[in-house]
Amino acid sequence: MPGDFDKGAYPEPPRQTPAPDKQTALPNPAIILSKLFYYAVDLPVTTARGVVDGLRSKNRPVYYHQKFRRVPDLTDCEEGDYLCYYEAEMQWRRDYKVNQEVLKIVQERMRACHQREGYSYEQNCAKEINEFNETAKNYQLCYGDLGAYASARKCLMKQKERMMEAQAETA
Amino acid sequence: MVGMSVLRSAAALAARLSPLKPGNNVANLLSRSVARTDKVAVRWGHGKKMFIIKPTDYYDRRFLRLLQFYILLTGIPVAVIVTCVNVFVGDAELAEIPEGYVPDHWEYHKHPITRWIARAVFDPPEKEYEKMMALIQIEKEKEDLRLMQSEVRRQMRQKGDGPWYYVGTPDKGLIDYSHKSSPDN
Repeated sequence: MPGDFDKGAYPEPPRQTPAPDKQTALPNPAIILSKLFYYAVDLPVTTARGVVDGLRSKNRPVYYHQKFRRVPDLTDCEEGDYLCYYEAEMQWRRDYKVNQEVLKIVQERMRACHQREGYSYEQNCAKEINEFNETAKNYQLCYGDLGAYASARKCLMKQKERMMEAQAETA
Repeated sequence: MVGMSVLRSAAALAARLSPLKPGNNVANLLSRSVARTDKVAVRWGHGKKMFIIKPTDYYDRRFLRLLQFYILLTGIPVAVIVTCVNVFVGDAELAEIPEGYVPDHWEYHKHPITRWIARAVFDPPEKEYEKMMALIQIEKEKEDLRLMQSEVRRQMRQKGDGPWYYVGTPDKGLIDYSHKSSPDN
């Protein structure tokens, strides 16, 4: 199923929804609608999924996450060594993708926290919000405006510019 | 109230006496027992057959029919195969790489059809990597050779003594020393 990751690797935090505190005798329309949705959509879909899972082969194939060896970086390559450039470029691209996914996961955590806490999210999930802000700031500094044709060289040049600016500020 | 019933009975009498007169139809609404002869129950049976003249839609319908046929010719088998694969074989599950085991390159994909394509159709990504590196190596060697060639040419031109560039001198045997044989002439 697309969009389904291993729940054990990134466990969702324990639910902190408070127990419902009914103060009126009127039926809650949200509960009515949710039960309607459950019986009309959720239950048939879940049973269908159960049927299909039963039909699927018992010894399922397995897939792994590929681990790549680290190769010398662009800064460790000699000038004119295009093979070294290529390997460094590929490694940089893999790292770029990994960082994008990391940012997405951190953002997902912050959004889940926001959804859980409701109105008091600013103080209750300060940790997740800080984590996301920092990750996003670092990502923006590192890969921010590189554009669609980003490459390791452009990232390196951007880093050089940053270092030059930092030096110009301190000097 | 009484006037109304008098009016009503008068209208009924008038309608009964001359039912086909135009003014008496209004009375039908008020009276209760007048035969309505102008409104007969009409039942639409098969209707009158009409020959509707319109431009031909044979070609349009033929096109749509053929389009449907050729799309479904491969569409239905593909849909059936994909459904069967998804229902009976199913996605792979994520697992940790066991110690000392090097998975094959298709074992890094989740969907069974992707795995099959990676196994049977495409080259392994390592091979693609090496192919790209081989191309880069060839281009690098070409570039080196071209640089060397232009450098060599420059040097030879400058010094004028390499096998490519030299100033040609005539053959030694063609020199005429005959006017030098008598120096005191």
